[in-house]
Amino acid sequence: MLTVYRYAMKYKWMIVIALIFMLIELVVELIQPLFIQQVIDNGIMVNNVDNVIMYLLIMFGVSVVAFLAGIFNTYFTSHLTNMFGYDLRLAIFTRVQHFTLATLSKFSTSSLITRMTQDVLQTEMLLFMSLRILFRAPLLVIGSLVMSFIVNPTLGLYLSMLTPVLAIFLFFTARKGAEIFLRVQHWLDRINRFIQQNLEAVRLIKANDSGQYETGKFSKVAAKLRDDTIFALRLMESILPVLLIIMNGSLLLVLWVASDLLQANEVAVGEIVAVINYALRMQGGFSMFAFLIIASSRAKASSDRISEILHSPISKEDKNTYEPSQQAGTVKFDNVSFKYPNTGRYVLKNISFEIYDNENFVIMGGTGSGKSSLISLIPKMYEATDGTVTVNGKNVSDWPTADLRQTIGYVPQRAILFTGSIYDNLLWGNLHAEEEDVFMSSEKAQIHDNIMNFDDTYDTPVGQMGVTLSGGQKQRLSIARALVRKPSILILDDSTSALDVRTENNLWGALEGENVTRIVITQKISTAEQADRVLLLDDGEISALGSHEELIRTSALYREIYESQQKGGHIDE
Amino acid sequence: MSNFFTRPFGHERIVTKEDIVKTKQSNKNKADNMGQTLKRIWQFMRGERKRLYFIISLVIVTSLLSIVGPFLVGRIVDYYFIPRAFDGLFRILIILLATYVLLSLTTFIQAYLMVGLSQRTIYNLRHRLFEHMQELPVTFYDKRQHGELMSRMTNDIETLSQTMNSSFIQFTTSIVTLIGTFSVMLYLSPLLTFLTAMIIPLLIISVRFITNRTGPLYKIRQRRTGELNGYIEEIVSGQEIVKVFSQEDRAVENFEVRAKNLREVTFWANLYSGFIPKVMNMLNNISFTIVAGAGGILALTTNGLVTVGTIVVFAEYARQFTRPLADLSNQLNQVLSAIAGAERVFQILDTEAESDDGSITNKTIQGHIEFNNVTFSYSKTQQHPTIKNLSFEVKSGESVALIGATGAGKTTVMQLLARFYETDQGEIRVDGENIKDYSRSAIRSQTAFVLQDPYLFEATIRENIRYGRLTATDDEVVEAAKTANAHDFIMTLEQGYDTVLDLDEGFISQGQKQLISIARALITDPAILLLDEATSSIDTITELKIQESLERLMKGRTSIIIAHRLNTIKAVDRIFVLDQGEMLESGTEDELLQLQGKYYDMVNQ
Repeated sequence: MLTVYRYAMKYKWMIVIALIFMLIELVVELIQPLFIQQVIDNGIMVNNVDNVIMYLLIMFGVSVVAFLAGIFNTYFTSHLTNMFGYDLRLAIFTRVQHFTLATLSKFSTSSLITRMTQDVLQTEMLLFMSLRILFRAPLLVIGSLVMSFIVNPTLGLYLSMLTPVLAIFLFFTARKGAEIFLRVQHWLDRINRFIQQNLEAVRLIKANDSGQYETGKFSKVAAKLRDDTIFALRLMESILPVLLIIMNGSLLLVLWVASDLLQANEVAVGEIVAVINYALRMQGGFSMFAFLIIASSRAKASSDRISEILHSPISKEDKNTYEPSQQAGTVKFDNVSFKYPNTGRYVLKNISFEIYDNENFVIMGGTGSGKSSLISLIPKMYEATDGTVTVNGKNVSDWPTADLRQTIGYVPQRAILFTGSIYDNLLWGNLHAEEEDVFMSSEKAQIHDNIMNFDDTYDTPVGQMGVTLSGGQKQRLSIARALVRKPSILILDDSTSALDVRTENNLWGALEGENVTRIVITQKISTAEQADRVLLLDDGEISALGSHEELIRTSALYREIYESQQKGGHIDE
Repeated sequence: MSNFFTRPFGHERIVTKEDIVKTKQSNKNKADNMGQTLKRIWQFMRGERKRLYFIISLVIVTSLLSIVGPFLVGRIVDYYFIPRAFDGLFRILIILLATYVLLSLTTFIQAYLMVGLSQRTIYNLRHRLFEHMQELPVTFYDKRQHGELMSRMTNDIETLSQTMNSSFIQFTTSIVTLIGTFSVMLYLSPLLTFLTAMIIPLLIISVRFITNRTGPLYKIRQRRTGELNGYIEEIVSGQEIVKVFSQEDRAVENFEVRAKNLREVTFWANLYSGFIPKVMNMLNNISFTIVAGAGGILALTTNGLVTVGTIVVFAEYARQFTRPLADLSNQLNQVLSAIAGAERVFQILDTEAESDDGSITNKTIQGHIEFNNVTFSYSKTQQHPTIKNLSFEVKSGESVALIGATGAGKTTVMQLLARFYETDQGEIRVDGENIKDYSRSAIRSQTAFVLQDPYLFEATIRENIRYGRLTATDDEVVEAAKTANAHDFIMTLEQGYDTVLDLDEGFISQGQKQLISIARALITDPAILLLDEATSSIDTITELKIQESLERLMKGRTSIIIAHRLNTIKAVDRIFVLDQGEMLESGTEDELLQLQGKYYDMVNQ
């Protein structure tokens, strides 16, 4: 919880101010009974109407002070808890942005969402409540106890006898509560994840007509959530009855002892009444405690989940010192082996090769031969398990990540676009790109004309909330996005699979004059034929490397691929 | 200082004067809406109503018991302690003990039952919502952010859940206590009761002042939470892109904007709702002053109409009278925000489900497909329809390839066949019957659709393949995987078929995903087979190997495929060349080559 509430320290002065206002309110509330006593003793009892009115005016004035203090307390607490929540949220999000993909894969998207919304909200709630009632509860309990001791030590003793039992009970319920709420949050995550998957797979589910099956599976998770929530809440709801029975029991004990003392003439009736009064006040204080305990159990569970993120490792934070170079890039793999984090199987084994500047380099290989894994090492999406990857003559582990990626234009296999306009999406390549450059890039990517045909041209919304684009359109947009970057290395991961031969040829033609090293994963021999060199991967190892003509002569596997496409060739759209 | 109240800590006002006026005007409307929403929640509790009535009676008992307790203590003091008469004290102490035990018991039971009841209701609501999601048309999902929808299904329902637990009991308790104390007060002194009741109009005015503001604020807050959710979901899902373009800062900046929006509205919502207890405290003190002042003056002037004892007792009751009022107004806030959430949930439930009024439910489909002058656009503002006056016929058992440039409408044809969308004009017939006359399930259960973007669930590979036919045996799963050429790579994984696919993990390649999704299609035994770029990421050698299986699969079924490679296309009976949603050429490969049209160009470039 410390990790999380450290973020509130920034507002410590505001917290102090809020607490001062709360204390003013509390003091006023405590002296109020003194004035009513004055009204009775110095007013009514002695038939003095002036005194009655005077004390009433004072009482009224004092309650106005309390009201104003309360209002100011509200202003400050609302403000600072909000700022705290915002800071915390931002800290989590920023942290997640700097996770490595390996760390990121440990958290599901939906769980990250719940942590940034629900969990932050719970910690915020606790702070908000604390600043309004935190002091009140203990002051009320301790104050009442002390007062009852002063009034009559014997009765005070009996009143306080059961308090330790209560304290122990509250302590253990709070601990158990935090544990169960953690489980509840976990189920909430699962529900969220389930819904997210269903949203993504909506077409598949419909096509398979498996809606009912999905609903059945969902019910099971939802039932688990329901049962754990019921358990957690019932535990919390048991606090009040236990509290009541213990406090009322103490009261009964006091009454019992009081009658004995009274018979022995050791106590005055007034004292008994006073102690009873304090006992009732204590009850009020403990009820507030119960409230706080429920809130803090939840907040404890939530802050544990938040801390987990804030303590997860991030990629090294480097200063961005990179000066964009006009030089086309080079890449060198030296005896590189790679396996994904937390898996045992090597997907790349002893890979060594070099890509020269301005080269048109094609990577081919069977399904699952390690092509995508290989290129993901270049922008350091993952780090090589063994061996070194060098970009522009510099070991990638020495490159500041941001600088390294600045030089690379990467087009992933799955074209992911974000909610926003087409133009916005293209700016992901380079925020500071000029309009001309954006248009130029989409012309090179052979998508400009399509965009101009949309009703809103570059302002057309895309992404989750946008228009329906075809697979080929998405691919070309994400190629354009990479080109906006003016990269010195352009990586295309099978990103032209949905383009027809003519469009693809135009694309390669448009890139011909560019000063950029191209690394292209493809299945198409026609693309390989135009490449300077082809790297053929087979089951994570280099099977062949050379020009198309060389490979036709030397590699049986390459010939096999060639022939598999000669029979039919490629038609494409 | 005035600056502080107009823009405290720099927070701009979110709810303007106009908004408040508007809220006031629409209050009646809103009340109707709220009534509607409450009524619908009530409907979800159908099976629980008897239990609810029982809880209400328990609450009444609890409230009465908590009034009886202090009353008995008072009696002990008045009748036993002051006169020092201890006969019968033991008996009354036992009664008091019984009261306390009973009080704890009823308090526990009512809470125990209420927790179960509310969570079951929430479960039902969640379940119903999920079920409804399955029935919503694809168009519903096309234009919505996943995260925003998720927010409704979790955040909004969670708010409702928390409110139902606590608010209902407190609400009832407050009302019972209110009525109880009011009666006692009236009995003690009608005049003082009347004076105390003077604060009620003040109370109503101030609560109205606050709820006129919190109402719209809660709505905005929930909406902005949804927006933030949506943003997080997109950015985290697309994290690969953010990283590779080093746009972390941009993502954080955009996040900041949305988080700030949320922060602003939450400030105002918390502020106004935080005023309520303060206002109640103030009113409490005023009523206290009224009682003491008026009571004191009356005691002095009227001589005996009001006694000091009455004042003391009354002052205490006045407190007890305002406390449930304070609780009620406090609860009101929670309830308002929960209702705002419930409204958003019901909005989804009110979205019309895919029409499913087809009467043909269990006919075995032969697979004869006909498009008659079909026209279709994804949106109404679209200049050119995606599919324009398209007519064709595919005979039962025939296989057809759709080819054409990007955006020619190939995928759309398939989606129309799977009834993801409804045609704007024209009709689609299957086995001579309009597709709309079939129940959706009748068509879909006999159609296998391999989608362009293979989606796999976070489950084992075995479960993913079995998804095509849930009754398939393990052997059949392996068989399908072998036919789809997926078996070998699956066996290289440490856990084989029991490997759990983690969506965010990269160790399964896109091509391997396609192999699994082909296996998933192979395991079904459909009358109609739709393959949309099913092999686009699979290398050509593997593709050749599964070509044979695919051909075998196509045999005897109506198949429509979208593919790029000639050898795949050559395997079909006929080829349709689409261009901008219209049929350009159609026929067997030989016919099209002879035609020397678009297909000829495509093959020979």
